[in-house]
Amino acid sequence: MPTLWKITLEILRQRQNQPPHVELFELEVDPDENVLDCIERVWAFHDRSLTFRHACHHSTCGACGMRVNGVEKLTCITPVREVTHPNGVLRVEPLRNFPVLSDLVVDVSGFFQRMEQTQLSSIAPLSQAKLPFEPNPPTIWQGQRLIDCIECGLCVSACPAANTSTSYFGPAVLAAAQHVYRQTNNPTVMQLVNCADGLWRCHSAYECSAVCPSNVDPAWRIMDMRRATVAHSLRNIFKRPNQKVAP
Amino acid sequence: MNQPSPRNILRWFDPRHRQPGTWAFILNRITALGLTLYLAMHLIVLGKLAQGPAAYDSFVALAHSPLVKIGEMLVIAAGILHGLNGLRVAITSLGFATRYQRQLLWASTILSGILILIFARAMFLGG
Amino acid sequence: MTQISHPSNPKEPLGLWLFKIITGPIILVILTIHFLVNHLLAPNGLLTYAEVIAYYKNPIVPIMEIIFVCFAVAHSLTGLRGIVLDLNPSQRILRIFDWLLLILGSTAILYGIWLALTIASA
Ligand code: HEM
Ligand code: SF4
Ligand code: FES
Repeated sequence: MPTLWKITLEILRQRQNQPPHVELFELEVDPDENVLDCIERVWAFHDRSLTFRHACHHSTCGACGMRVNGVEKLTCITPVREVTHPNGVLRVEPLRNFPVLSDLVVDVSGFFQRMEQTQLSSIAPLSQAKLPFEPNPPTIWQGQRLIDCIECGLCVSACPAANTSTSYFGPAVLAAAQHVYRQTNNPTVMQLVNCADGLWRCHSAYECSAVCPSNVDPAWRIMDMRRATVAHSLRNIFKRPNQKVAP
Repeated sequence: MNQPSPRNILRWFDPRHRQPGTWAFILNRITALGLTLYLAMHLIVLGKLAQGPAAYDSFVALAHSPLVKIGEMLVIAAGILHGLNGLRVAITSLGFATRYQRQLLWASTILSGILILIFARAMFLGG
Repeated sequence: MTQISHPSNPKEPLGLWLFKIITGPIILVILTIHFLVNHLLAPNGLLTYAEVIAYYKNPIVPIMEIIFVCFAVAHSLTGLRGIVLDLNPSQRILRIFDWLLLILGSTAILYGIWLALTIASA
């Protein structure tokens, strides 16, 4: 029998268009449980009206992103032990920079539409799915695999540039555009992100790469896409008008 | 509140639950605003030079107080911090050494600290 | 469901961003030269009118100061525009702000050049 921890779960609750308020739940949990388990416990035994999103429980669907004690986490793989202590507080809030639908559920539809605009495919050949500076896997297998981004939105929530305006594409979309561009050289993707709400809005806080639970390194990808776009535009200057390529 | 809004402007400057990259961004923005304000004041004040020796020298005498010296020191510190961190941002923004941005941040901060101390020494202890 | 907007107008074109990023390091270089020259030519500081006038007799000084004021003003105003973009301004407000910055910037640069030349020829 593991030692149980007494913790206080503080959940920021909100009905649409009403001011948010905090509700406290005293729980006894195994510190190796994940934060999502605690939230489900509250839903199961304390308050059936609590709303939150999840599906896979193993960091694949990207649905369970929340802010835990102020920091963006994939709650299904975040052990209680890592984010609080015995008799400690666990404050759970919805992701920032998305409209809140209710309690911990945010509206990610705009985010998904933008992701779709980049034409990112969810699978890629092994060599193209990883970051270019990652060492090659010790295998000769030449298959396809799922790409890393699980579209959880943690990076959008953590980004300080995203918190004053809804129009900013956010890290995941820019990273997706980079991924597609490096695979296909498709100029439409470059055009999509070559604007104030795209590549040029980032202020290099590197929060996205710090919170990304899935090895995407969106900040690196943004900077790489900037370099590609700047290089492309500079090359265009020296081309004759009939050879110019958009953007 | 939770959603993006221009009214969240103060949240730019909230360092809680953030990692060093955002702290650098916050400092960069504050120093940038400070330097811009200083540049404007500086240009206006130097206008005294065009009005001849009397105007300028009496102004300098007025400005020769410890308070102004501390203010000048703040401007120098802001310039050094903004400049060296700005160099890091410029380099990494173009996709160079982006993976080492954290190390570059420490390097620029330590170098800034040393330079600020050197300038403070020259300013307050006369060399 | 959220309706996403389609940006029709690239409010911060690549060029302006690149300009802001490149002018920064240029200012850093000029400032370093500035401090070195200042240290070599006026080791005791520039505390009186006469000292400043003497300092400006060396042609390096006004040239350096003019280049500095051009880049510093341009960098700082493109920087301010970047901050305003973060506040999601409407196209109309942004256009007004652009004119404001343009007028402010050219005034400051012309004034700076005039000042440096006036002092140099005093
Ligand atoms: C000393 C060398 C300097 C360097 C290397 C430098 C570099 C930079 C860089 C890379 C940025 C972009 C930051 C971002 O997008 O988040 C920036 C922003 C800015 N800089 Fe500088 N800069 C320097 C000096 C100055 C000076 C002297 C002023 C003012 C007179 C100034 C005013 C600004 C402003 C207002 C911004 C916008 C700040 C923001 O977006 O948060 N800079 N600088
Ligand atoms: S880039 Fe990372 S943090 Fe952002 S949505 Fe994709 S997996 Fe989540
Ligand atoms: S529940 Fe699927 S990622 Fe957490």
